[in-house]
Amino acid sequence: MSGLSKGKTEPTSDSQNEQRAQHWGLLSSLLVAPPKKDLLAAIAGLHGDDTALGQAYRRLAKAAQTADPAAVEREFFELFIGVGRGELLPYASFYITGFLNERPLADLRRDLAVMGVERAQGRHEPEDHIASLSEIMAGLASGQFSADALGCGAAGEAGFFARHLQPWAPQFFDDLAVAPSADFFRHVAEIGSVFTDIEIRAFELARKQEGPASAAAAH
Amino acid sequence: MPKAILRLGIVAMSRPPVTQWSGRVLRPVSVMIDLPPLEAGALMADRDGVQTVYLGDHELALHSGETRHYIDNLMARQPSVWVAMDNDRIAVVTVDPYEGEALASDPERMVEAVPMPTTLAARLDAFVKEHHVDEVFHKRKRVPATSADAPRAPRILQPQAKWVQTRGRSGRGPLGKG
Repeated sequence: MSGLSKGKTEPTSDSQNEQRAQHWGLLSSLLVAPPKKDLLAAIAGLHGDDTALGQAYRRLAKAAQTADPAAVEREFFELFIGVGRGELLPYASFYITGFLNERPLADLRRDLAVMGVERAQGRHEPEDHIASLSEIMAGLASGQFSADALGCGAAGEAGFFARHLQPWAPQFFDDLAVAPSADFFRHVAEIGSVFTDIEIRAFELARKQEGPASAAAAH
Repeated sequence: MPKAILRLGIVAMSRPPVTQWSGRVLRPVSVMIDLPPLEAGALMADRDGVQTVYLGDHELALHSGETRHYIDNLMARQPSVWVAMDNDRIAVVTVDPYEGEALASDPERMVEAVPMPTTLAARLDAFVKEHHVDEVFHKRKRVPATSADAPRAPRILQPQAKWVQTRGRSGRGPLGKG
């Protein structure tokens, strides 16, 4: 993300936002359920450039070429479902407080209510699941959702990200990369890790660039 | 799930009643691991009115999940076999002392703990050695939330902390370990 078009309040172009939505959408679809054969085939056809993110995508594509859907499903089960619990608990509340369904989930639900976003019928995962949050980020990036109405400094996409993902998503992707059963998902974790890092830095950059301008406008 | 079934011959004894108002009562007195060539109910001896009767053979099931109880039995000064009878018919034969004592709580039943033959004790010991899985008793206690052992779930569950079926020989290790 360049985010440096001069004098504009819009930090990124539409095509870049569309690409960000694609990144978030892919993370969401990989983390919400075990990827099926056709999704794996689509991932196997991805190309990447020589940036860190591009290399991560190339490694994921290479892993998807040889991945057995049944083995990936088993891996997903061991990682996120398990007997009793999976190896990881991909919930914001767990990462921030150490327990499930705690205040971070309540905060998120309040913000989602303000944004007018709610769980689809038949989806029972709490909203602070990493896949749900990725899906919301995809919606925010593509303009499908809007977080402008959020208060307490969480307004806008950057505010939503800073409040609900930044405190724990990097840690989660680091954990996913070292989880004992992770094999295919190690590459997903790498993409998530690199991509959230880029997002954090880009939002920071946009905030710094916007900061003096908004301060000047206030005067 | 029974892992081994043995057959034991049961010998009972009845004494002449001490009053004219009571009848003879058959009580199990011993078990035999080698079955004699006798019909069930055959009179083995009758000396001064004390009758020894062969009650026939009955199965003794050894369960792999109850080896702890068998160890307790074998460690007793006199290892025993519990024989429970309903109306002069053998109902249950067990070497699990707790099952035996539970049977004895039924007043309608005749339950006797008879000495275990040394050959049977050896068989039982071999069975225990083959199947016993030692389970360490873990007493759970509350710890303060500020303690280092606070009951927080681990962020990454390690394979050794995963639930696997460990009880008995059918317990399998984690996936991929055979």
